[in-house]
Amino acid sequence: MGLKPVTTPDTEAATIVLNIDGETVTAKEGVSLYDVISSMGKIVPAMCYHYTFDPFGSCGMCLVLQEGKKSPVRSCTAKAAEGMVIRTDGEDLFAARKKAVEKHLSVHPLDCPVCDADGHCELQDMAFEHQVTNLANAKQKNIPEDTRSLVLDFNMNRCIACGECINICKDVQRIDALQFMKKGGFTQVVAKGDHALDCEFCGDCLAVCPVGAITNKFSKYVYKPWQLRKTTTTCTYCGDGCQMYVETKDTEVVRVTSPLSWKNKWGDRGDTVNGHGGLCVRGRFGFQFIDSKDRLKEPLVRNETGLVPTPWIEALDVTAGRLKDIKSRYGSEAIAGLITARCTNEELYVFQRFMRTVLGTNNLDSSARYGHMNFVRAAHHALGINRTMNTSADLTKAKAVLVVGANVTETNPVASLRVKAAIGTYRASVIVVDSMQTNLARLASHPVMVKPGSEGTFVKGLVKSALEQDLIDPDATAQAPEALSALKAAAQAVSLDAVAAETGIPVETIQEAARIFAEAPRSVILCGEGIVRQPDGYNHTLSLVDLAWVTGKLNKPGCGINTFTEEGNEQGAVDMGVAPEFLPGPVSYAQAEARQKFSEAWGATLPDAQSGQSLVEILADCRAGKIKALYLVGENPLGTLPKSFGVEEALSHLELLICQDPFLTETAQYAHVVFPACTFAEKDGTVTNQEGMVQFLRPALDPLGESALDWHIMVGLANGMGHSLPYEDTQDIQAEIRKVLPGYYNLGEPRPVVADAGAYLRNGYADSVRARYANGRTQESGRPYGLKLIQLIYHSGKLSTKASGLMDISPNTGALRMSLEECERLGLAEGGRVRVTSDQGSLELGVQADVNVLPGTCAFPEHFNEPPVKDLVRVAVDPVTRVPYFKSARVTIEKI
Amino acid sequence: MAQLEDQRETIYKVDPAHPETKDLPILRTEELLLNMGPQHPATHGVLKVILDLEGERITKSTVVMGFLHRGVEKLAEYGTYHQFIPHTDRLDYVCAMYNNFAYCRAVEKLMNVTVPERAEYLRTIVAEVQRIIGHLFWLGTQALDIGAMTVFFYTFRDREILLDWFDELCGARLTTSWYRIGGVERDLTASLETKIRDFLAYFPPKIDEYVVFLEKNRIWLARTVGVAVISAEDALGYGLSGPTLRGSGVDYDLRKYESYGAYPKCEFSVPVGKNGDTYDRYWIRIEEMRESIKIIRQCMDQIPKEGPVLADVPSVTLPPKNRVFTNLESMIQQFKLFSQGFDAPPGEIYCGTEAHKGELGFYIVSTGGGKPYRLKIRSPSFIHMGAFDYMAKGYMIADAVTIFGSYDIVMGECDR
Amino acid sequence: MDTQKQTTRLLDAVLFREIWKAMKVTFKHMFHRPMTFQYPREKRTIPDAHRGALGLLRYDNGQERCVGCDLCEAACPSRCIKVISEEDKSLPLQRYATEFYIDITKCVFCGYCVEACPVNALAMTKMYEYSTHDKRTLMFDKQRLYEIGEKHLEDAKKYLYAHNQEQDDEESRAYRYHFPQPIGKTGASGS
Repeated sequence: MGLKPVTTPDTEAATIVLNIDGETVTAKEGVSLYDVISSMGKIVPAMCYHYTFDPFGSCGMCLVLQEGKKSPVRSCTAKAAEGMVIRTDGEDLFAARKKAVEKHLSVHPLDCPVCDADGHCELQDMAFEHQVTNLANAKQKNIPEDTRSLVLDFNMNRCIACGECINICKDVQRIDALQFMKKGGFTQVVAKGDHALDCEFCGDCLAVCPVGAITNKFSKYVYKPWQLRKTTTTCTYCGDGCQMYVETKDTEVVRVTSPLSWKNKWGDRGDTVNGHGGLCVRGRFGFQFIDSKDRLKEPLVRNETGLVPTPWIEALDVTAGRLKDIKSRYGSEAIAGLITARCTNEELYVFQRFMRTVLGTNNLDSSARYGHMNFVRAAHHALGINRTMNTSADLTKAKAVLVVGANVTETNPVASLRVKAAIGTYRASVIVVDSMQTNLARLASHPVMVKPGSEGTFVKGLVKSALEQDLIDPDATAQAPEALSALKAAAQAVSLDAVAAETGIPVETIQEAARIFAEAPRSVILCGEGIVRQPDGYNHTLSLVDLAWVTGKLNKPGCGINTFTEEGNEQGAVDMGVAPEFLPGPVSYAQAEARQKFSEAWGATLPDAQSGQSLVEILADCRAGKIKALYLVGENPLGTLPKSFGVEEALSHLELLICQDPFLTETAQYAHVVFPACTFAEKDGTVTNQEGMVQFLRPALDPLGESALDWHIMVGLANGMGHSLPYEDTQDIQAEIRKVLPGYYNLGEPRPVVADAGAYLRNGYADSVRARYANGRTQESGRPYGLKLIQLIYHSGKLSTKASGLMDISPNTGALRMSLEECERLGLAEGGRVRVTSDQGSLELGVQADVNVLPGTCAFPEHFNEPPVKDLVRVAVDPVTRVPYFKSARVTIEKI
Repeated sequence: MAQLEDQRETIYKVDPAHPETKDLPILRTEELLLNMGPQHPATHGVLKVILDLEGERITKSTVVMGFLHRGVEKLAEYGTYHQFIPHTDRLDYVCAMYNNFAYCRAVEKLMNVTVPERAEYLRTIVAEVQRIIGHLFWLGTQALDIGAMTVFFYTFRDREILLDWFDELCGARLTTSWYRIGGVERDLTASLETKIRDFLAYFPPKIDEYVVFLEKNRIWLARTVGVAVISAEDALGYGLSGPTLRGSGVDYDLRKYESYGAYPKCEFSVPVGKNGDTYDRYWIRIEEMRESIKIIRQCMDQIPKEGPVLADVPSVTLPPKNRVFTNLESMIQQFKLFSQGFDAPPGEIYCGTEAHKGELGFYIVSTGGGKPYRLKIRSPSFIHMGAFDYMAKGYMIADAVTIFGSYDIVMGECDR
Repeated sequence: MDTQKQTTRLLDAVLFREIWKAMKVTFKHMFHRPMTFQYPREKRTIPDAHRGALGLLRYDNGQERCVGCDLCEAACPSRCIKVISEEDKSLPLQRYATEFYIDITKCVFCGYCVEACPVNALAMTKMYEYSTHDKRTLMFDKQRLYEIGEKHLEDAKKYLYAHNQEQDDEESRAYRYHFPQPIGKTGASGS
């Protein structure tokens, strides 16, 4: 409903009774009258109303008659009250609404022929519905079109001043980038301060604009809504799994829209806890890679002259033959495979089956290894679950949210709206622990800006502080008293002063944060790349488990520990068992009965329980010459990992490198065989979002050129090697997944998970906990600055750099981002170049000031390899989960 | 192979009663199955009839239709109501105007649109002109089928005058698309008015001329009188309509009983036959042409001199073009109507119209929105073909053509 | 009475009187001018309202009328029109059809596209002789349509008047589409 939900988990609103069109209706006190009417299924026209924000009341369309009042009232801004008698229909109301439409029409230009909104325009609908003809006194505005923004054009001649764009920006996005301004005699929507619009470019204003006042620059004038074919699919840029409509005209993608639109204006404000239906800049404007000119269109096979286009049948035959040859000469152990977590569940499933049964190797891994695996392994080990614990509704309705090392707005923009709603609508206390001044930190009640890399220490401080302040939940700890005492003993090693010194946060703040977290009835922990992609991520995640356990936030409804995934289907990659330690489920690969079950299901013997290398070891083995053939599906280790890791050397030792990718990546240039793969918009299948919701991908386009679906290629290779994978279409794979993982699809709802730490706490917890807390942080060399490879909201991995729209919005500036103070201190306020030196080498590059970066830190977007800042970082490997850490380093910076 | 041998044996079986024929093959007498059409000059397009013949007599006939099936009813579900008008031109392609009229009437009934008075008169005039064209076309081809070629030239000469009149009226001779939901596309001009008045004077003597050729012609009489007789009861039972039904003596004409258009304001009689044979059906058509002339003449006299020809219902009818250029609301109306169509109320309607062949009905199911959910066309040709087996039984093979010819079938409407 | 009737009928039958009557009509027509004419040499006069091949029109100053609004495409019952529109690169914020195709083999000549066009850029002409040996040439593209429009400009205008699409020149000048101008391009540097 438009107004803020009056019934929250904490307060229950009184029930009132009113009479609408002769029907008796009950409603909650304090809601908008418009919502009560629309909840009856009656549609009263309104142009400025949308359920996601507070009613604005500018269009004057939603008129109803209240008994006892002479003139009609605007139902959206009127609050429902006991005993109201309302009439919503009638000649007089129709005439009054018609008058309101006429008011808007009389100053609207005759733009329909060139307007992109024509055919999807509320003003058109209203004028048509109310049969407006022969308007007198029409006058034309002549306002120049504001084309200064990179993404959106503002044609204020067409604006009806409904304020939907401004309201959604303010109430939902909490960015507040737009405002009304009286200019040239007309009220216009302009970017704050009448500058060029510079915001997150989520495009929600575009989606809710009921006329064509805000238009999309990337598809300007190239379409009319009635020409487009709409395909509902799921965005795979990040783990939020937003539903989106890919709108295509013939063979090109024209635009991307989402369920958020002025057309879906009727709803319950409370429903926004499950998402408001919008997209972020990547989903909405980053679609150009789908029909990019750089896409591979045919298979390439290397001969003396280089990579040459080859027919599919020949390429598959050559590859299968060479794989067979390597398998027979060196054994299955000499083959390994890596797959990207942007593939569908079905493809990931076929991949691991192909690797394990056809090639007979357990050397396989996915890009979930880059970080998400830390969380999964910790949760698997400690809680017996394999994913996040809460739904987005829990997140919104939490009373306290602890965000640790998660720059949610930049990595998972739509999920961050849930936190923003918790802040704005439900008044939650939000503690943001980060080494960057993130967008959430600005909105949070308790921003805690720690020194780079000390997020984990801060968590330990929280645990210590919770123990010290006796914030222990007696019920939760009663089940394992010996574990509690072990934790207490281990925490002796931590002193709050030392934590304060290391993180740069005063002790009182730590204690207050612990108190807020422990005392709130519903507390949620969100951890992100600042924990799981930083050294010791596994242990830090376990510390978060400790914190949640002692404060009793593990098993209470609405409480839990959650993470965010960077790529669309990292959770699916884990669930499908694309890791040497997991079988689909995921169940541990070491479990004999699980291996038995799958070997029966697949009719093949699985590799040894002990065998199997993960990403880091696979590349090390390539370097050592132990692995002779590497199968990369959408992975680009050369572009991802620092030079010091020796990927180039590893690849050069290979006898066969197969790359399967939509684009010719850096790694693919070393390949012996390159297979053209499809993008998500051509695929049919499912992806699992970070919440565990399995959602559908539907093909919006036919595969470009000769490119093929990933699982088609794998089945082709298997056939070439004399094995048959019994799949003819996606449904076959899904049927098999249903058989081996009953209930996995679960009708698109997240499967409920129950965390149970009992076994973990009773068995061996006491021994490991001491080691974890004793393990003090070793300060690195005396280099003063922390370099962070950060993610930008406008990009996701390397894929988004192929989307021309996103590159227009956020090109590679090639500059190091530093705080203003640091820039000034180094005398770089007007720009300039610096030399950045780390243990791995040094690099010269430009500098740009960035308000998000804290003093003592510098940052560079991880999406760009030019200049090769990533090579300054040394790769550290987690001893338990084998996750490579390469997102931060200590550097010195000198001006040159 | 064995079967073939058997057959051969039966054919050449010796009759034991006549041993003298031992050396002669015995001719087998059995029914002959004859495929007539679809490529046959007299089947009015692509009709195929499988005739079971006993000698030259028809014992059973099976009509095979669908060679001209274009899925018109399905096409209707994919376009707006307005966009379907040109598709109706291609139903009964010799009489497009009447199809337009029947369809527009159905949609107007669905949308509850009242047509301006001048438009009603124009619609009636043009519909009657179309009826004359239809009957002329029928007369020419029917006579041609029977062997009287001359009549064909005379009827087509006069039909040509009217087609040229159509060309001037709406821009096309056959595929007219002149009717609009809520009226007509274009008003009569002075020249058109003169031309139709001239035609009214010119045409009645011509009808007598055709009659001279046929009325006493003994071949014509032999081929039509008493051929394909159908009783009034059977005709109703088979759902026949139009001249085919009236030929059997049933006085049923929607122009009288549903009284749409300007018909209620005109005086005219409905000719009704007695015998229900092919000749009566011919006679009725000749008389209807005379009645049509009367109706047109009355309409031309009564028609209001001024007035709109298209209803002004902003949610259904197109705005005048000059308003589109200058008024936003008309521009919006134009864009909404062409890109999305008007929003029809949910419901079902059937509307029958007396076309020159019989009752042409449109049955529309709407679930709201700009496109019909289902559109069914009750085309007289199709219904009449259902009675063919019954009516052709016992007649000569040569009569088959004249029998379905007497329904005035057009396959475009039959197969749709 | 009866006998007389019988006699008449007998005489009719014997003398083939109905044939003589009919022949009289036929012979009378020997002295008429022929109704037919010799087509390629003689051509019929085509009325102004005639719906022939489509052409695209320009304003008097040579500017293309079509703004690529795609309404003709939406209005076409046989889906034979394809418009590809784009922002004119040389004229910012102006929308034009970069490509315009009419598959004349699919066209049903209903004239709805002309009726739909909000700027009267399309018109039907009296051109009907465009038969060809190569079916592919019947896919009229933008250039061909403008050529037709130029060659048959007079007919096209007459068509528009005949079908009430245009009423007088004054009016046709008034409805020209005016595109808005961009805000000063200098500040256009976003983030």
